[in-house]
Amino acid sequence: MIPRAVSDFVRDALQTGFRLVPWPTEPGLRALGNPGPLSPVLVTGNFDLTVRRVMRAMRGVDAWLVVAPSSGINVWCAASGGHLSTHQVITALKTSGVSQRVRHRRAILPQLAATGVIAREVERRAHWQVKFGPVYARDIPRYLAQHEKKSEDMRRVRFGLPERLEMAASWATPMALVAAIPSLLLRPAWTPALVVLVGVIALAVFTIYDRVAARRRRYLIAAAPLTAVAATALAGGGTAALITAALASAAAAAVLTYDYSGSTPIEGGSHFREARWHIKLDFDRCKGVYFCWQVCPEACFDQRPDIGKVEISRSDSCIRCGACVVQCPTDALYFEDGGGRRIEPETIRRFKLNLLGRRSVRVGYGQGAPASTDSG
Amino acid sequence: MSSLALMRLLESAPLRYDKGMRLLTLGAIDQVRTALAAAIDVDGGRVLEIGCGTGALTEKLIARGARVTALDQNPEMLEQVRARLAGAARDALVLVERTAAEIDSFAEQSFEAVAASLSLSEMSRGERSFVLRQAFRVLRAGGVIALADEVVPRTGAARLWHRMLRAPVAALTWAMVGSVSSPIPDLAAETAAAGFRLRSERRWLCETLAMVVGERPS
Repeated sequence: MIPRAVSDFVRDALQTGFRLVPWPTEPGLRALGNPGPLSPVLVTGNFDLTVRRVMRAMRGVDAWLVVAPSSGINVWCAASGGHLSTHQVITALKTSGVSQRVRHRRAILPQLAATGVIAREVERRAHWQVKFGPVYARDIPRYLAQHEKKSEDMRRVRFGLPERLEMAASWATPMALVAAIPSLLLRPAWTPALVVLVGVIALAVFTIYDRVAARRRRYLIAAAPLTAVAATALAGGGTAALITAALASAAAAAVLTYDYSGSTPIEGGSHFREARWHIKLDFDRCKGVYFCWQVCPEACFDQRPDIGKVEISRSDSCIRCGACVVQCPTDALYFEDGGGRRIEPETIRRFKLNLLGRRSVRVGYGQGAPASTDSG
Repeated sequence: MSSLALMRLLESAPLRYDKGMRLLTLGAIDQVRTALAAAIDVDGGRVLEIGCGTGALTEKLIARGARVTALDQNPEMLEQVRARLAGAARDALVLVERTAAEIDSFAEQSFEAVAASLSLSEMSRGERSFVLRQAFRVLRAGGVIALADEVVPRTGAARLWHRMLRAPVAALTWAMVGSVSSPIPDLAAETAAAGFRLRSERRWLCETLAMVVGERPS
């Protein structure tokens, strides 16, 4: 029998290192602590690491946890990619049996699910009220203690040292493996150095990522090989050395300046088309319900109760996650592309991102379809 | 057959789905669907189809005179069905854009038959159990349930072989679409567990494709 702490540690390490592949756990209902019919109902995706983190964060708190089938992918990625959408949440709420365990119909979802799950559709079709709770599982006990009120810090996505280390590990582990296998076969002695090098590069990437501005990246990619070749020539290197220097420095510059926007909450030199989209407010349509303010992970909005509207005060902080557009009940928010064309809210709701960051995955949510057919 | 792991990949491109599935199953899927439609055989009766996809089975059911209510969560798939069955009689087909779990919104004993082909393997075990119990509820007494899906072979050796062949195909599918379906361990047992009396079970493709037919006891 392996002690729980050891197996948890091994799973944490594996799932952090290989975060880029899915780690599904069985969807369904989990009792956290000793919950009763009035205990809160939390919903999350079925990425094993997430589920275990929620359970750890909730130690000492009684609640029900509904694990929705998100294809073993973490909440934010699954919600953005159509794997944690209105369908999966409805499925989980209906099939997990939670309805028989509680007397209320209020589900708390992670805030980052707001890019994929349309709260009012879940209410309409499954008769469960959806609230978007904190971004991070560790804030849930505090959120519950303060009567399900989110403080400012619970709404923000952070990208500090722990998050950067986690992302660096998730890239370094598979890359180190790719480097180590041929090296073990051809030059075993080089393997430890190679693995360390991959780790250092990954750390460097995720440390400088947002400190190299978009425009400077392009120059860096061009300048690196030129500098390296010039330096090698000055040092008296031969043709082989010149070619190696050029290729190696170009590769290094490319790795350092690659767009890791799927792995960071920052959009710097994104090459994706959507990088040039801007969030816009249709002032007349805004009814001041502030769902956008509730779900924005970058705090782009300010409430203006004096005029009953919301204000996009920090549009530069927008990372185009689309959560505000998806949740707005009056379609008052939309994106505008670089050419001034309007991207309708329906497009953002219906089309999710594929693995290449293109909006091509279609997710239906039954607009206009009858809840049931007439039985005549 | 291991190639069934590719199912999810095909689903991401509905236009190629039918051709792809025929190829993956070496044509067996057509036989399976014909057998399903024959097992149901409710002339003029109401049939609920769970996860109709592009409507290959829907078409066969309607051709046999059934009035079909077809459920699918993918709007692109439903568009395919609409195009395919544009000529069908108005009361022969109702399309509903819903996830399978929403089967609970249909009235009790409102269908003569329930059918599903290749949709149960996309559900978790808990979801499947819910959907099968709900199928029991919406069927009238004596009504038929006919299911076809990818299953795990019965014998140990075949199972091991199947798993080995399937793994790389599943990995490829995952890499391309981000999710994979998984074969059902025991479809007949799960059907019986929902309360149905089993009538027959047939297998195709080295036992990896199964059809289970049951009925709601009167």
